[in-house]
Formats: sequence, structure tokens, C-alpha cells
Amino acid sequence: MASLSLEHVCKTYPNGFKAVKDFNLEIKDKEFIIFVGPSGCGKSTTLRMIAGLEDITSGTLKIDGKVVNDVEPKDRDIAMVFQNYALYPHMTVYDNMAFGLKLRKVPKDQIDKMVKEAAKILDLTQLLDRKPKALSGGQRQRVAMGRAIVRNPKVFLMDEPLSNLDAKLRVQMRSEIAKLHQRLGTTIIYVTHDQTEAMTLGTRIVVMKDGVVQQVDTPQHLYDDPCNLFVAGFMGSPQMNFVDGVIKVNGDKAVVTVAGVDIRLEDEKAKAVIDGGYDGKTVTVGIRPENIADLAEEDMPEADSPVFSAKINVRELLGAEVFLYFDIADTPFIARVNPRTTAQVGDTVRFAFDTKKIHLFDKETEKTIAN
Amino acid sequence: MVSTQIIKNCLEELTSITKVEFCIQDASGALFTETSGAQATDADIVANFADSTVDSQIIGDSYLLKIDDEEMTYILTAIGTGEYTLMIAKVAVSEIRNLMTAYKEKYDRNNFFQNLLLDNLLLVDIHNRAKKLHIDVQVPRAIILVEIENNESDNIAGDLLGSIFTPHNGDYLTEVDENSIIVIKAVRNEDDYEELNKAATVAVDMLNTEAMLKVRAAYGTIVSDLKNLSKSYKEAKMAMDVGKIFYAEKRVMSYNELGIGRLIYQLPSNLCNVFIHEIFGDNIPYDLDNETLNTINAFLDNNLNVSETSRKLFIHRNTLVYRIEKLQKSTGLDIRNFEDAMLFRISLMVMNYLKYLDSKDY
Repeated sequence: MASLSLEHVCKTYPNGFKAVKDFNLEIKDKEFIIFVGPSGCGKSTTLRMIAGLEDITSGTLKIDGKVVNDVEPKDRDIAMVFQNYALYPHMTVYDNMAFGLKLRKVPKDQIDKMVKEAAKILDLTQLLDRKPKALSGGQRQRVAMGRAIVRNPKVFLMDEPLSNLDAKLRVQMRSEIAKLHQRLGTTIIYVTHDQTEAMTLGTRIVVMKDGVVQQVDTPQHLYDDPCNLFVAGFMGSPQMNFVDGVIKVNGDKAVVTVAGVDIRLEDEKAKAVIDGGYDGKTVTVGIRPENIADLAEEDMPEADSPVFSAKINVRELLGAEVFLYFDIADTPFIARVNPRTTAQVGDTVRFAFDTKKIHLFDKETEKTIAN
Repeated sequence: MVSTQIIKNCLEELTSITKVEFCIQDASGALFTETSGAQATDADIVANFADSTVDSQIIGDSYLLKIDDEEMTYILTAIGTGEYTLMIAKVAVSEIRNLMTAYKEKYDRNNFFQNLLLDNLLLVDIHNRAKKLHIDVQVPRAIILVEIENNESDNIAGDLLGSIFTPHNGDYLTEVDENSIIVIKAVRNEDDYEELNKAATVAVDMLNTEAMLKVRAAYGTIVSDLKNLSKSYKEAKMAMDVGKIFYAEKRVMSYNELGIGRLIYQLPSNLCNVFIHEIFGDNIPYDLDNETLNTINAFLDNNLNVSETSRKLFIHRNTLVYRIEKLQKSTGLDIRNFEDAMLFRISLMVMNYLKYLDSKDY
């Protein structure tokens, strides 16, 4: 069990490439932390610095309060599961899990105990005598995890461990990992670029972009209160809709005008735009697809809700929901609506925005004005 | 000779199955290895038996048998009498002989590959020796060079890679220096670079996760004939060097994807120096601070777009313009112009290369 602390951690390669910039994070014991962000944002590099596989250019990394910048990777009591794993083809599941321990010259009886315990946790006991060829994809992945678990480490580092699996198996393994975290009660740091994995697994999520931490928060908070346009767009699928709007202030009230339609801002949002001096300025308005209603199917009091008429470009039925694609002010929008909707491609539909769920962002700095 | 530990393990296994204890001594009677319940035979008796012409002998309640190696004769003592013990003793002698043969073959293969990669073999020898060692000549293969930082003497990396890349799949491992392992990887066809890249990435990830070692890998092109394997090895070496100099953030490098680094790497150092002097005169910016380097890289990566770069760097655009102008004053290059920006990027790479040459004391 371990807590971690990263203070002003930076990684600059000799060729000048800065992969991670001023990374600060406190990770509590038993937390399931997710690093999420697009490719090249520095999440894997940060994970590798924690593992000791990359040198830290500047800053401090502490595990359980002890500075470990110069501690060899093998002495950090960390185990890793990476995206590209290979099972030793000629060894049984038991030997695959025991091999790392044998290399470290752990006594035989201890290896036996550790492997059997890990196999029990991963439900692999019945498969210990099998060779990798005779295993399914999910079972192989569990063996790869078993190799990390047998070491009984303080911290688990996982770098996109599910990205080589098909969609169905990913969902299955996702819940297996969540269960594993509950059973082991160990600190886990998990890297992914898949925001669904991030939302479902993490106790806290670290959103990164271009080597910089954008926001650290619980999944729900990140979704509801993104700190900037990037986080708002990155979390959620389909992503948040963004459109330009102009702020108009009248006393202590304010509206944002989008495509000629005035959207009355709630008092708190109005206060934020007035205090920020946004009167007459263009801002970015964000609204999630589920906060747009097809008025033909759902009730939304029209007095409060701004209404936009738009022609449907694409209709996607996903079973439990329908995505409708349309344009407002030449900006593409997606609405997630009830599957009862009768709207078809080419129809003009009246959509209402839920004003309580509108987000406003500064157009230049892209920081959140109000959520 | 096979290591003592391997022979001991083999004998212990036989003992646990047959309950017959064993001991092996050399021709002078010096103990080589023994199972836990055995006792070495008197050295004089062993020496006399080694000099005799017989192959087996009963001494007291033990059988003595000879194990002939090309270089030496070893004596096996099996504790016990009767047909059963003699039979088991003969099985043990046969087993150890086989182990020795397999060991020799393995090390002959190793020697063959080392000489092949270092261009120490004649063309005619390559085919003859490959045939003797049961190595298929016409299989598409490539070299994956795995370089290990702080490699320890216990060869964990070699054991681990040897368990992934097995002769059973047509793969072999060899070493020509202390810090790297060479994987001779057989692939399905001559353009299967995806498989090769995956194998190299797996090697790196496995060494990272299982052995917690810092490693880099580089691979050469796929060759269809064994005699061209040294070409693939040289390419892998070059890819490793170019990767370290120009693409330090990458852990797996392919010879086919070296970009402009490939060109600069081939340039002689005096030409590089002339180029750098031509661009910067006497004010060569060898030690640009991190902030400036970061600004330049971000500006170039964002297609010389001031607004986008300042947004990405979280700085005001005027700050960015100030930094660019400061750089222009010190170097004479205005990176807002495409020509100057291109020159600057190439110059940075050339300077990295020169630093690398200096560090290697060329």
C-alpha cells in the first residue's frame, strides 16, 4: 500500500522535446488514478517516470514520503502491466506467472504460494497447467495481470492494458480490473486515451494535454464542471457541442445570443459573465448532446428554453438512444434523444437547450467562465 | 562444458524419480557435482578407473561409468548395486552426454551468428555451417537490437528474451557486446514490418515490466537470405544511434523511419561544423535554455502560428513575439519566416549530432 507525490515533475529529452511540464499530483493510498489525454500528451511518460524507466529531468517523486528519483526501477516495489505483453509460449500459465519471480531468485515455495494466491484472485486456478495457446484473449490478459500481481507490489502501473483487446472483451476486462482494485486494495495508476475507461474505472482522473495537467478531479466533477474547453470536449462521448455566442448584459441579467436566439443565463452564470467583463464579447457556448431535447418528443418549458429549428443531416439509431446530427449557425451539433423520436434525415426539428446545463468558455484563453 | 548447476539439476531430477544417488568427478577425482545423498568416490580409485580401458566398474556398493567428452573424461558414480542401478547409471550417462551435445550445438550456433553478423564468415562457409547447425537459409529475417541501460551480470534480459523468442519459432538470440542483445527474428514474409515492430515493442515492454530494465530497441530491414543478415544488423545499429541522437523520446526505432536524422547522421563532422558556422557565425547557440528551446519547438510544431503557439504555451502572444525577436537578435534567424525556421530546425538537429560525436570522442 502506498501514497505517491509528484512535485513539479518535468521531462525534457536531450533533443529539447518537453514531454511533461510541471506535473503536480498527490495520490492517496488505495486510489485508482487515471491519466487520460490524447496521444503524445505525456501520460505514458509520466507513468514511466514513476516506474523509473525514464529519468526525471526536474522535480521530485516520492513514494510513501521517500524521494525515489534515483532509486532503481526494480527497487521501487512497483509492478506494471503494459499494452504489449507476450506470454511465454512454451510455458504453462503457472510458469508464466512464476517466471519473473524465478528471475529474481525468489525461493520455490514462496513462488508457489504467490502464484496460487494470484491465480485465485484472477480465477485462473483451473488453468494453471494450460499453455497460452489454449487460453482465450481474456484469460491471456488475466495471466499478464497475474504476472504483476504475484509481486505483491505497493503500486500498480497500467499503460493502456486493454487497448489490444476487442470491444466486447474490453468491457469485460474493465469490470475485472475494477473488481481487482477492490480485492487488492492497492494504489493503481492507469493510463488510457479512452475516456469511457477513465470515467468508469477512476476514483480520480488526471486530464493531460501537451505535457500539461489540465484538471484533476472525480469523473462526475470533470464531466459536470470542466475547467476549460479541452476538458469539456475530451470528456463525454459524443463530445460536447460548441458554438460561438455573444454576451449581452442588462443590469444584473445576461443573455448569450447564438444564431439570433437569446439564451437567458441563470443568475450564477450571469454574475460570472458580468464580473468577467464579457458584455458584448464573443464566448464559446458548450452544451452536451443529452442536454438538447427534441421538442416533438420531450417536454421542456419553452418560456425558459431557447428553441432552435434545424434540419437533420444524419440520424444514428443506437438501440437505447438516437443521435441526431444537425447544424446551428454553420456549426455541427449532435443531440442524444429518445429512440421514440420520429425525426428523419431532411426533417426540420425544433430543439430546446437545457439552459441550466450550458457551459461558457473564454474564446481566447479557452478557460471556463461558468459551468 | 555445461554448467555444474544444469548437470546437478538433471541428476537431482533423476534421483527423485529413481531413488539412485549420483556423483560426478573429473578424471583426477576432483568433485564436479553430486546429489544431496551421494558421497564422492575416493580420488585415487576414480583416477585409476579413468586410466583403465573399461567403460564401467563396480567398486564396493557403487557403479562407476565413464562420460567421454571431446576434451575431458568425467566419471559418474551411481550408489547401489544390481541391474537396476546399472541401468539407471547408463540412463544418467546418456542424459548427460545429450546435454553436452545440445549445449555445444547451441554455442556453436551462437558463435556462427556472431561471426555472421560481424562479417567474419566466407559465403561458402555460411551455407555449409548453417546446414550443419540446422538453420534454414531462405527464411525472411531481421535483426532487432535491444540495448539495455545498466545491464547487470546475471543476464535476466537474455533469459527473458530467450523465453519469448525461441528457436522453435525460428528466432535466435546472440550478443556481441555487454549492453545489448541481438534478436534474430524470423518473420512470415519480406514486408511484414508490422510484425517486426510488434516484436520489438513486446521486447521493450516485457523487459520493462518483467525485469524493470530501461531498454531501447531498433530493427533493421527484413532480409530473405541468411548471408544478408549482417546488413540488417548494421541498419539496426544505425537506427539505434539515430534514435538516441534525434528521437530520444522513442523507445523503438525502425531503420525505415529515420527521417531527416538519417541524412544528418551520414554527414562528416567537419561539414556539420562548416554548416553551423555558416548559419550562426561565431554566436553558435549550443546551450539554448529550456524555455527558448521549448518555445522554438512549440512554434515550429504549430506551423509558425503565433496565436496557436502562445495558446499552447499558456503565454501571451506578445511574450512569444518578444522571445522570437530575442532569438533573432542573438542568432540572426527570424523563425517566423519559413526559410529561417527550416534552417533553425536542421541546425538544432546538426548541433545535437555534433554533441553526440563529442560525447563519443570521435
